[in-house]
Amino acid sequence: MKPFTYVRATSVAEASRMVVAGSAPLAGGTDLLGLMKGGIASPARLVDLGGIDGLNGWSRERGAGLRIGALTPLVDLETSDQLARHLPIVREALRDTATLQLRNAGTVGGNLLQRNRCWYFRDAAIQCWLKGGTQCFAKEGENEHHAIIGTARGCNRVAPSDLAPALIAHDARVTLTSTRGTRSVLLADLFTDPALHSREEHTLRRGEILTEVQVPESGLQRRGTYLKAMERKTWSFALVSVAVAARIRGGKLRDPRIVLGGVAPVPWRVEAAEAEIDGHPFSDDLARRAADLLLADAAPLAKNGYKVPLAKELVRRALARIAAA
Amino acid sequence: MEQLALVQGDDAEAWAADAVLTIVGRPQRRVEGAAKVTGRARYTHDIRLPGTLHARILRSPHPRARVRHVDASRALALAGVRGVLHRFNTPKTAFRGEETIFREEVRFVGDEVAAVAADTEAIAEAALSLIVVDYEVLPHVVDLEEAIDAASPRIDEKGNVLDADRYERGDVRKEFAAADVVVEGTYRTSTQLHNSLETHGAVAVWDGDQLTVYESTQHVFGVREGLRNALHLPLANIRVLCDHMGGGFGSKGGIGKYTIVAALFAREIGAPVRCVLDRHEENVAAGNRSATLQRVRAAGKDGRITAIAHESWSNVGQARWVADPTGPTKGLYDVPNVLAHAHRVLTNTGSLAAFRAPGYVEGTFALESAIDELADGMGVDPLALRRRHAGSQVDPVSKMRYSLKRLVDCYDIGAEEIGWSRRARGGLRGSAPGLRRGLGMASQLWSGGGTPPAYATVHLNPDGTAVVRIGTQDIGTGTRTVIAQVCAEELGIDVRGVRVEIGDTDAPYAPISAGSLTVASITPAVRLAAKDAREQLLDVASGVLEVGRAELRVEGGAVVSRGARTPIAKVFEDLENYTVIGKGSRMPNPDDIVLKTFGAHFAEVEVDPATGMVVVERVVAVHDVGRIVDPLTARSQVEGGVIQALGFALSEERVVDKPTGRVLTSGLETYKVPTVRDVPRIVVRFVDVPDTVANNVGAKGLGEPPIIPAAAAVANAVANGLGVRIRHLPLTPRRVLDALAAAS
Repeated sequence: MKPFTYVRATSVAEASRMVVAGSAPLAGGTDLLGLMKGGIASPARLVDLGGIDGLNGWSRERGAGLRIGALTPLVDLETSDQLARHLPIVREALRDTATLQLRNAGTVGGNLLQRNRCWYFRDAAIQCWLKGGTQCFAKEGENEHHAIIGTARGCNRVAPSDLAPALIAHDARVTLTSTRGTRSVLLADLFTDPALHSREEHTLRRGEILTEVQVPESGLQRRGTYLKAMERKTWSFALVSVAVAARIRGGKLRDPRIVLGGVAPVPWRVEAAEAEIDGHPFSDDLARRAADLLLADAAPLAKNGYKVPLAKELVRRALARIAAA
Repeated sequence: MEQLALVQGDDAEAWAADAVLTIVGRPQRRVEGAAKVTGRARYTHDIRLPGTLHARILRSPHPRARVRHVDASRALALAGVRGVLHRFNTPKTAFRGEETIFREEVRFVGDEVAAVAADTEAIAEAALSLIVVDYEVLPHVVDLEEAIDAASPRIDEKGNVLDADRYERGDVRKEFAAADVVVEGTYRTSTQLHNSLETHGAVAVWDGDQLTVYESTQHVFGVREGLRNALHLPLANIRVLCDHMGGGFGSKGGIGKYTIVAALFAREIGAPVRCVLDRHEENVAAGNRSATLQRVRAAGKDGRITAIAHESWSNVGQARWVADPTGPTKGLYDVPNVLAHAHRVLTNTGSLAAFRAPGYVEGTFALESAIDELADGMGVDPLALRRRHAGSQVDPVSKMRYSLKRLVDCYDIGAEEIGWSRRARGGLRGSAPGLRRGLGMASQLWSGGGTPPAYATVHLNPDGTAVVRIGTQDIGTGTRTVIAQVCAEELGIDVRGVRVEIGDTDAPYAPISAGSLTVASITPAVRLAAKDAREQLLDVASGVLEVGRAELRVEGGAVVSRGARTPIAKVFEDLENYTVIGKGSRMPNPDDIVLKTFGAHFAEVEVDPATGMVVVERVVAVHDVGRIVDPLTARSQVEGGVIQALGFALSEERVVDKPTGRVLTSGLETYKVPTVRDVPRIVVRFVDVPDTVANNVGAKGLGEPPIIPAAAAVANAVANGLGVRIRHLPLTPRRVLDALAAAS
């Protein structure tokens, strides 16, 4: 690990001023420290956000949706029975996230902004496209964990967060604050696609701090669920995960969302798939049609073809589950 | 092979099956347990001598290259750097058949190129990146099946595929031609990494010409021997210590290059030097279980197995030996016609190291899968088929009798416990719609009879406590505890009154803690030393108490005669510091009898055919390993073996990138060992009949047995549940889904 200096910010404004080129914001550190030890990130300065008041915890105001502070430890969301009544998908998603130790240290903001787990990306000796190189080593290489869809350019990484698909399924937004001001974007738009030729994974601009997640009232009215396929029962990123959410009216799925993790460089949504089921009662056949549309453009690599049937099956089960609940 | 053993004295009569023992055979809390849970137990990684320097190793970034030049000037100019070693400035130091630790041709990503010693680990690490190496990159191959392919680069002048061993009995060809049913399968297993919690490492310090090395090792005497060969020192000048140890699983059988690096730097610089590997180094350069490709053909006729042919290819990296997977095929079942042929395949990957039942885990998976396939083909219950070949009391390889074999008892106990009668061809319905449930089993064969030489002393103190000294080591298995038990039992004192001094080459010799050797090798010597001490005590007591020697015995820390109890301390009261020193050695094994261990595992699994998820619900592990000295430690040993096997069966797999030769799974996140949540219910049972022919304790080894059959049992259970056999471990969701897609 390269030597670095450490400062502690006491306000968002101060943190934003401090996060200049060469500096990295530090929250739980569960991803950043690993990146630093592995030689993937080498910030000269860490700006610890832990001393900033007001970013830890969540609140629910009737009519104003749900707000979750970016520094809230994952474990606090996972274990809150009250939150589970408002937005049960969060607990479902977090229960299988990382390990209890990591959920104790990790934060909501850090989870959404974590870097991908591609084993080529995580090897400092490999100069892949995402790190400024010319090629994706996974494309012709060891790609069983890689993307099957949405990989238009040189990167076959997959979006690693469990929380992101779950929150996107409820139309979450995030607040980004910098010295230039504050903006609110859809969480789905926080993630950037390699198809856009960006060698970033997030659309965060320099100096911007993710301060809050909001779930609008309409999002809270959906019933959601999260399913995750793993290679062992804990401490395993998703082979495929799926978050679905919909309002159930008269046995029909309304305004549904289907978001996949582990299959594409960003949490994967296809509006046509959602339109296909909108207004219909659940059936296996309906779910199959939606899953087919969701994965219509799938182009698996040599070793990850299994993700297609796996994703389709998880979509079917998740939809069945919310329809039956 | 004839065994020469120099021994002193006579052996004791083995404790009989009905002997009344008060300490041996009863659950005993680990004698070092409190030290471990309170953090007082000192491991090699904890050794911080005053003034210690830290060494780090520069490793090859290329899978194969010639080192043409090394420029260390910038590294040496870094403040805090004390020295750099590389192939152009390092004296010849013999290491595993090579004469240097820094090869001219580096042969895998991670091969040692140079080393730095510095005031801190961080400085040493920083200095590594300042060393400039001129490499001539050479063609390479890392994949087992590509290396077998004649079109791939030859990485050794003799070729990549080398014959290891060929064995034949009977006439396999004839029986295949005459068979009712012949099955044939190609099986694959993946490279498994040891991942000992304590990584490999050593701390070396010189006092004049006396070298002391602290090393995390399974064999302090092996490390001493390695240092003697590398540094040409008299044995009296080398002391190797290993107090507590965080696992080795076979990979810590002798010195490593890090040991030599530490010793050379320590001598050159005149300060203690610590060289320990990090997790990534551990997983690229500290050994592994070879990936294998195996072809098994099995023939059946008239309800019996008539012939088995087993050919294997193992990816050994650069190793000069192979962990032969065909051992179980030769010896497990009484089958008249067997052909076994093992190949060693060289690749540009880190070399294998012995890994808990090397070869047997891989081979048992292939063999026992094939036996199930044959049973299916013959329409016979797979356990019933095995029973027909498991009862023989004669070793089919040597044709000599076994000292004790209770494999069929293991079948009976296991079948009852798992509910084998529920097993149905094609599996059972699972706990929810769509899920499938399967039962499977597999058998275990391993040695485990122990070996001389091993020596122990027992010092009986004037207060009736005792100190056992023996140069074995406790690699985490509970060796200290079983030594204390056997000593206390024989001596007639409380187990808490025994201190066990091990892990030191200044103690009497003991063999490597590997191959399930330990208990059967050392406890008979400990028992004899304790017996010697007891007899000397009785001689003294007879004089002091003026009672005939024959009327005295030691019991509960007292000398007892006709109802009168005299505490040992009382016997010695007037003798001041009189110390009884008992000596014992391990007697040779019988030369016309075969000592083996047997067992059987039964697994119940639930498989989700739509997601490829395999959940192992229960493993019943039954073993026939002679007397159980400590049921608690024995149970831990079995649980650990089963869990390690489940990793091999379901999730553990070293992945190497073919073009770059880099290990992509060198960390614990990507290399998936089982977590607590992955561990099923494990039911542990023992036949627990002492092997009185084997040695005076009647115990055999239990290190290897529990890892051998579990993966095969799970694979058979999965095949039973799914109705589709997957011949490639680990059984990840990907492999299950791909196999189901291919089958449909």
